[in-house]
Formats: sequence, structure tokens, C-alpha cells
Amino acid sequence: MPWYLFIAPASLMLLALMAYPLFDTLRLSLFKWGGLGPQTFIGMRNFSKLFGDEVFWRALSNSLIFAVVVPFVTVSIGLFLGVAISRRMKGWQIYRIAFFIPVMMSGVVVATLWANMFEYNHGLFNTVLRGIGLEGLAQNWLGDRNVALMSIMLVPIWQSVGFPMIVLLAAVEGIPQEMHDAATMDGVNEWQRIWGLIVPLIKPVLASITMLSIIGAMKVFDIVLVMTKGGPAFSTQVLGYYLFETAFRSGNFGYGSAIAVVMFAVVFAVAYGYVRGVRIESVEY
Amino acid sequence: MAVERLTSRPSGGSARVRRTPGWWAGSSLRPIIYGLLVVGALVQVYPIFFLLMNTLKTDTQILNTPFSLPTSLSFAPFVDVWTGERTGMFFGRYFFNSVIVLAATLVLMLSISCLCGYAMARGQFPGNGTLHQALLLSLAVPAHALAIPLYFFVGSLGLRNSLFGLTLVYAALGAPFTIILMRAYFMHMPVELEEAARIDGCGRLGVFLRIVVPISRGPIAGMAIININWIWSELFFSLILMNKADVRTLPLAIALYKPAPMTVETVLGLQYAAMALATIPVLILFFLFQRQIASGMTMGAFK
Repeated sequence: MPWYLFIAPASLMLLALMAYPLFDTLRLSLFKWGGLGPQTFIGMRNFSKLFGDEVFWRALSNSLIFAVVVPFVTVSIGLFLGVAISRRMKGWQIYRIAFFIPVMMSGVVVATLWANMFEYNHGLFNTVLRGIGLEGLAQNWLGDRNVALMSIMLVPIWQSVGFPMIVLLAAVEGIPQEMHDAATMDGVNEWQRIWGLIVPLIKPVLASITMLSIIGAMKVFDIVLVMTKGGPAFSTQVLGYYLFETAFRSGNFGYGSAIAVVMFAVVFAVAYGYVRGVRIESVEY
Repeated sequence: MAVERLTSRPSGGSARVRRTPGWWAGSSLRPIIYGLLVVGALVQVYPIFFLLMNTLKTDTQILNTPFSLPTSLSFAPFVDVWTGERTGMFFGRYFFNSVIVLAATLVLMLSISCLCGYAMARGQFPGNGTLHQALLLSLAVPAHALAIPLYFFVGSLGLRNSLFGLTLVYAALGAPFTIILMRAYFMHMPVELEEAARIDGCGRLGVFLRIVVPISRGPIAGMAIININWIWSELFFSLILMNKADVRTLPLAIALYKPAPMTVETVLGLQYAAMALATIPVLILFFLFQRQIASGMTMGAFK
């Protein structure tokens, strides 16, 4: 049996369900189309319309804020946790489990749970704040346009800190004991050990986990759908949800495709920059 | 290296690390770090505990005394959401939809990925390198960018509102990553056994099915574990492709479930029970395969 028959099933499926849709998205972004009926070629007009579309700019900037804040906080906490529980300190397994369980949960469940906790009248947060006399800090977490984006960013941070933790823990433990011994003989303090030894050695893993996290944050959708639907006043609108609304709720499939192209370009640029920067090809496992 | 990490027995991991008192022995930072860890762990676990507790409470209890423990242990809320009699949403059905899609996706995706990864690792044919490059590039494509054409394409195949249609989409979305990792694994697998079998007159497919697949059960199971999580949780394509009520998957049903507050006594409790229904299997899976999951996740990130 020739090798081509081995790769045929996967290749055909990927051509039909990934390559073709990707090119068709690029093509459709140049058309005006309501889903039924004829597709009208309008050149770059979808993109020039995007340029003047305030909601789109909100969505793009919110997505970028998401893609900077969430990975930065998540990976920083994950690094702290990974370093703190490496070396099998007392109870490390309990911490590992505790921080990792939310990673396994589905995004919809987590978002629904947090939406209930953020609820203004009876939610857990406001109940606690009122209970301890900090009534002034009680917020309309999801209903106030100045607070809502921050509120929903807490959710993926809470859910996913365990992921960088577990990966960085493995990386920290992969550092040979001799290097630690050598550092100990040089009389380094813990601070120097972390920034001078551990962080430089796990840098490739740190970079790859950060990129994964950025791409994940760019694709945020579940949380927005469940918690805010992009509101109030578009303060939590993001690219993924705006694409969904434009195409599948309003039926503007051409304009939706243009949003998809922008989303694709941004994510692809991040990934490409990462591959260029870190040269993943040279790190063959 | 990363693939071997997944296949090696768990004991290897922990025995390597020397038992020392920890980084912070004698440091004034030590109490602060322990404090942060304890508080952090509580912040991570309490909402899950809260979720499970609320499945057993009435709405009044959930809203007025959020910290109290349930007064009775009753599985009635689970029965209610499972049968859908009081919610109008048949979570038992959605649960099975999710299980079917998950199982079918794993079987399809792992089959095509193993075949393809094996051919890429062992075969010499024009286009092999290009295929590898294309797969790497495809990892950087957000699935949202495919959604609009996929919606129409799947529709033209008559597979909208079909669990099989959703399975095809999921298998295609997960395949590139799985192929890349399986290829890496097969490249590091010794070739001698296969050569011996070939001399004995076994064809390529025979060698693959009788020799390669059986000895690769570990990594294949590892790939299944890595993929279970996102397939079980996937919302976006389910939302787009599944418009009819009886084909919903569990995440979609939970996202669409909007209990009207205080119309029935336990509307919120039922919502929590539905959420627990989606969560409890994952928690069980996590405790059964903790190490494999952790090393699988690590493997993905190292690549």
C-alpha cells in the first residue's frame, strides 16, 4: 500500500474542512452576501467599512487588551506557583491539584458560575462585600461599562493559571541538580537563583506557554457569550463575538468574513513572530 | 523527548527530584509564600465547592445564605435536569450527545492522525516536508476564521444539526496538532520490529495495524487525553451548527439555559445541577488520570 493512501484520509479532511474554508473566508471578505441569493463583489469595501466601524475598533482593542493582560497575569502567577511548589515542598501535591482543577472545567460552566457570583443583588462578591461592611466596593460587575471588561478578564485568569503552573513546574524540575548545586556553592540567594538560573533556563518554555496563552486570549468567545454578550455599550465586545453576531445573528456573511480575516491576521502574526523569534524549528524534541 | 515523557511510567517524574526543604528555608519570604499559596488554593477551589453545594440547595438558600451548607442530601435536582421535566431541557439527552461526539471524534481523529503521522515519519514521498510545514502553519489559524464557510459547507453536505457533522469538524480541527505529535513519536520509535515483520511478508498496512498500533497504545491514549478536554467543552461550532434542540451538546445547552428567577422554587439549583453534570465526569477523569493529563498538557506546550 503506497504511503499516499496513509495520508489521504487526513489530507482530504484537512483540505475540505480547513484549507478550503480558510480560502473561502478570504474570498468572501470581498463580497456582500446575506447567506442566500447572489454574492456581490465589492472589492475592499468591507474593509474600508471596518475602518470606520466603532464597534469593530472596540472589539479589536478589547481583544488586544485581553491578549496582553490575561497572558501576562496568568503566566506570571503560573511562574510564581511553578517555582514555589517545585522541589516538593510540604503539601505541594494539594496545591498542584487545587490550581489545576479549574483548567479541566468547560469554559461555559466556569463563565455561568462566575456570572452568578458577579450578580449585583445576590451574587457572592457583593454579598461578601456588604457583609463585611465594604458596601461602597460592591459593583455592578457585569453591568457597569467601566468595570465589565476587568470583571470578565478575571475569569480566564482564574480558570487557567494552573496550566502555565503545571508546564513551568515540569520545566523547572527538568533543570539538572548539578546546576543548582553549583549555584548553591556560589552562595546565591533565592532571588538570584530564580532570575539568574531558573528563568533563563526555562525561557523557551516560558515563551511557548505565553504564545499559547496569547492565542487563546485572542479567541475568547464563551465567556463573552455567557456573561455579557459584548455589553454594556460594547465595553466587552471582542473580535470572536463580533464575528459571530455579524455573521450568524445579523446575516452579514461578507462583512463577518472581513472580521474573520482581521482575526486570522492578528493571531497569525503573533504565532509567526513567535516562530521567528524563538526559532522553534531548532528545538526538536 | 516530550513524547517519551508521556509514555514513561509516572514514578520516573517524582523520583528524580531531590527532597529538600524547599527554596525558601530560612528566608523571611517563606511565610508570605505559604500564605499566598494557601489563599490562592482556596480561591481556586471554593467556587467549585460552591457550585457543587448549590446543586443541593433551594433558590432561597442559594441567594440568601450563600455560605451555608445544604440541609439535605438529595439527588432530585440531578434527576430533574436529567429528565428535563421541570426545566424543559433534556440534559440526559445532551449528555449523551456530548459523549457520542466525544467518542466519535476521538476515534476518527486518532485513526486519521496515526495513519498520517506514521506515513510522515517512515515514508519518503514528495510533499512530505511541505505537508509538515502546512500542518505547523495550520496551528496558527484560529478556528473562528473558518466558521462562515464551514457553516455553509457542512450545510451543503446536509450535516447541520447532525452529531456526525459536528464530529467531522472537531476531528479536522484537532487533527493537525495530533498528527504533528504522533509523527514526532513515530520518528523516535525504533524501526527494527517493523523491518522484521516486513521480511516475514507483512504489508505496510499490516505492519501498521499489527505491530505499530499495539505498541503505541500509550502515546495514543495520551493524545486522547489531551483532546478530551476541548472537545467536551467546545461551544462555538456547536452553537453555529446545532440549531435544533435535540442535537445540542452539553456546553451549548448550559449556555442556552436561562432559568427565569424565582418562578419555580429551585430554578437556580437546577442550573447548578446542569453545570455539575458537565463538570463531575471531568473531575473523575482528572483524578483517575492526573499524571497523564499533566504530562500530556506539558507535552503540548513543549512542542
